Amino acid sequence: MSAEHFFQYLVTGLYQGSIYALVGLGFTMIYAVTQIINFAQGEFVMLGGMLSFTLINSAKLPMPLAIILSVIATAIIGGIMYLLAIRTAKKASIVSLIIVTIGVSIFIRGIASEIWGIEPVHTPAFSSGAPILFWGAHIQRQELWIIGTTVVATILLHLFLRYTMIGKALKACSVNPEAAGLVGINAKSMALIAFFIAAILGSIGGVVLAPVLPISYETGVGLALRGFIAASIGGFQSPIITVVGGVLLGIVESIAIGVSWGPFSSAYKDVIALLVLLAILLIRSGKLASEERAS
Amino acid sequence: MLGKLKNKLVPSNKHDPSVEKPTAQRHSPISITQLKIGKISIRWTYIAVAMLLTFFILAPFSWFLGKYNFVMISMGINTIVIVGLCLLMGYTGQVSLGQAAYFGIGAYFSGYLSKSYDVNPWLAMLIAAIATGAFAYIIGYPIFKLRGNYLAMATLAIGLIMVTFFKQWDVYTDHAEGLSGIPFLSIGGFAFNTPFRRYFLVWAFCLFILLISQNIVRSRTGRALRAIHGNEAAAESIGINVTQFKVKVFVLSAVYASLAGSLFAHHMPSIGPQPFDFLASVKLVVMAVIGGLASIWGAIFGAGTITILSEDLLVRLTQLAPVAYGLILVIVMIFMPQGVFVALKSSAKWLQVNWINLPAIMNRKRKEFPSQMKNRMIRLVPARLWRKSEP
Amino acid sequence: MSQPILETKNLSKAFGGLIAVDKVDLTIDIGKITAIIGPNGAGKTSLFNLITGVYRPTSGEIVFDGKSLKYNPWYAKAVAPMLKQRMLKNKLQRHASAHKRAALGIARTFQHVHLFGNMTVLENIMTGQHTRSRSGFLGAAIRLPKMRREEDTIRLNAMKYLNMVGLGRQAEQNAMSLPLGQQKLLAIARALATEPKLILLDEPGAGLNALEKRELSDLMKRIRDMGITVVLVEHDMPLVMGIAEWIIVLDSGRKIAEGTAAQVQKDHKVIAAYLGEEDDGAEG
Repeated sequence: MSAEHFFQYLVTGLYQGSIYALVGLGFTMIYAVTQIINFAQGEFVMLGGMLSFTLINSAKLPMPLAIILSVIATAIIGGIMYLLAIRTAKKASIVSLIIVTIGVSIFIRGIASEIWGIEPVHTPAFSSGAPILFWGAHIQRQELWIIGTTVVATILLHLFLRYTMIGKALKACSVNPEAAGLVGINAKSMALIAFFIAAILGSIGGVVLAPVLPISYETGVGLALRGFIAASIGGFQSPIITVVGGVLLGIVESIAIGVSWGPFSSAYKDVIALLVLLAILLIRSGKLASEERAS
Repeated sequence: MLGKLKNKLVPSNKHDPSVEKPTAQRHSPISITQLKIGKISIRWTYIAVAMLLTFFILAPFSWFLGKYNFVMISMGINTIVIVGLCLLMGYTGQVSLGQAAYFGIGAYFSGYLSKSYDVNPWLAMLIAAIATGAFAYIIGYPIFKLRGNYLAMATLAIGLIMVTFFKQWDVYTDHAEGLSGIPFLSIGGFAFNTPFRRYFLVWAFCLFILLISQNIVRSRTGRALRAIHGNEAAAESIGINVTQFKVKVFVLSAVYASLAGSLFAHHMPSIGPQPFDFLASVKLVVMAVIGGLASIWGAIFGAGTITILSEDLLVRLTQLAPVAYGLILVIVMIFMPQGVFVALKSSAKWLQVNWINLPAIMNRKRKEFPSQMKNRMIRLVPARLWRKSEP
Repeated sequence: MSQPILETKNLSKAFGGLIAVDKVDLTIDIGKITAIIGPNGAGKTSLFNLITGVYRPTSGEIVFDGKSLKYNPWYAKAVAPMLKQRMLKNKLQRHASAHKRAALGIARTFQHVHLFGNMTVLENIMTGQHTRSRSGFLGAAIRLPKMRREEDTIRLNAMKYLNMVGLGRQAEQNAMSLPLGQQKLLAIARALATEPKLILLDEPGAGLNALEKRELSDLMKRIRDMGITVVLVEHDMPLVMGIAEWIIVLDSGRKIAEGTAAQVQKDHKVIAAYLGEEDDGAEG
């Protein structure tokens, strides 16, 4: 494998990993505040891309406006999902909530396939121009946009959590919801905000991804899986490690497929990600378990 | 007219002052446990069972419901998987979002062994069951150390991995369009080559599985499983090897699924990886939930409703099937987490006690509904969330 | 003096930097009622968790009925002759798991009761008989006659324990429908159903009124008279002083005193632990 190829895979992995990172951040936000794994996280990405497509192509809106509206619309959908599906479930068990989010994700996918059909949709790139040649790799400009957007989003999220009141309230909720309630933080409002943030992150990912990778109603599934892996690496707690994990996963995946060594053909792309996931789950459970239990 | 009916059906000790009955029951024309005609009283359950049995035995005949044989066979096959899933999820409180994978392993082993390697179908079924059980045993121990969300994701991951393997196996053996021409099961010279015959085969299996599962539930093992669901720490403290039991019931559910898969392979004209994918696993969970997670016989109800729905929906609105499943899942899990079947049973009981107050209740609800709805809507949206976050 | 039923040797448990149990040496005499007391956070429940196998000790050893609860699993035994290093051999040793200890004869109740809310009162106790019965999946599935006979025995034994704690009439009620005091009795009955040699009661008196506490004392005496060693963790001093034949006092994870009720009450260290450094001596 030549150096050029390697660098090409690296870049591909970087931008794909960035999307995984965004999805992972969404998972982490919702889990931290509500202890729920939101299986519909991938659908937020899909909706971001699909909505921007419709707004640009059918409504003929200028691109910046279309992007902003798509993100807002997806955020609203995320909020509605929380209010209607999760909030009403009140004290349901974790299993029930898992199934509820699966139900919502299936529902959204079904509606999406009704509205937009089965064919993937494609949006125009943010900046026109030829791919950049860098160390022998062809980098699409949009891919740079993806990586850049992810970096900016991560920084903004970090600043938000660290330095704003709401951000600190969210963190308080994730550490100890009862204590947070005692100092006047409304856990339910925080959950709603967490869903908003997760939906915004996801839809931003979808909006920047759509020009590069055509988005269909099924796109969310694979992304959700990898975002979940990224979030697991971060322990569903640390946004930074989640982002790092997501990017690493993207790179590893991209190189493994590029090399096409043995079983790593593209058909097994999913299997690789899944095996990584299983490995992480088992390692983490091992660490937690051996601390306490005898033998 | 109702008065005459009351006189005939009221229990004989109505004049006994020492027997205190709730107000409604004293005048109830229908007792929940017994039907009394004159002097003969038969328990409702016996009547129901007799009626159901007759119905099931007569159903596959062409002059009755014969044209739905394929649907009913699918129902039976699904019920077998669901019973296993109920044991795992309802009784032991675990999660499996990849159950269709074991269904698929059974089908693929049975199909390929009997078609491409000329193995006797029954032997193939046995090998499939053993292989699936062994696989479940091996992955069970590491996986069932996980809980809640993580367990769900792990089972989901296994399911997705298996789907890829199924697809690749088909490609590898040059059966990319799916495996067809799988020989039928047969006993001696009698081959189960018509839907009519397979109906009885499948439902015989189904009945057997239902009975032994019922036995398991009502035993020391069943109590151990329920104890694990109730409180794992306490279960461990009274000597139940929690992890081992979880793995055992998981293996059992996988073997059930494998048997169902084998029956499926020897029934369908061809098999491909699609009936074993994530959506299939979700369908199975929906069936289990609707049937009542902790109800063995409810599994028939759950499998039945969703199978019939999907046969219908499949014909008319293929795209909307996921939407319907999604909606059903969400609504059932939120409002009836113990399962539709169990919810129906408790509604029936509530009705039996409260039926006499029904008009008054309906009236009250009708008056209160608008204000109740308004209150609920207002409480959903937080009014001053920005203010609340300042300490 | 007969052999103690439970001994801990240099038992310690640390959670990262926090030392919950600090080199505790205990001896529990067989057939007596022993109480473990100490201010909040002294490590009493952690000690119970170590004895019952919920926690793995950071160091130290527990000996139950003359046998250590540490053992060498098959792979350690196979490798042992090749290993000269003591440390590595120790690393490979494992501790008997919680459910095995129940089979050996250690039973416990929990501070927060932990009943099986999805079962009736009687079923809770019947589940307690799990270690003393044998039929498994296969026996259950085909309803072997041996299994059916075992079920009857289990049911009879469960009724016996149920009546012993006085809950006979609530046998078919859901376990969570009982008031707290009766839930605690049910938990004790369930622990008794495991036919233990040693029973550990974690704050059995918490939330009970005076009458219930008296009945609890009587129950504990009856359990001791059955030959079962009772160890309890309690905060209610009159209850403890009235029933305990031996008291062990813990503070901040260490054992600071032990003796009879009279001895412990006069011990300076005990008073200091509860009341702070007051040098006033005779306090209660």
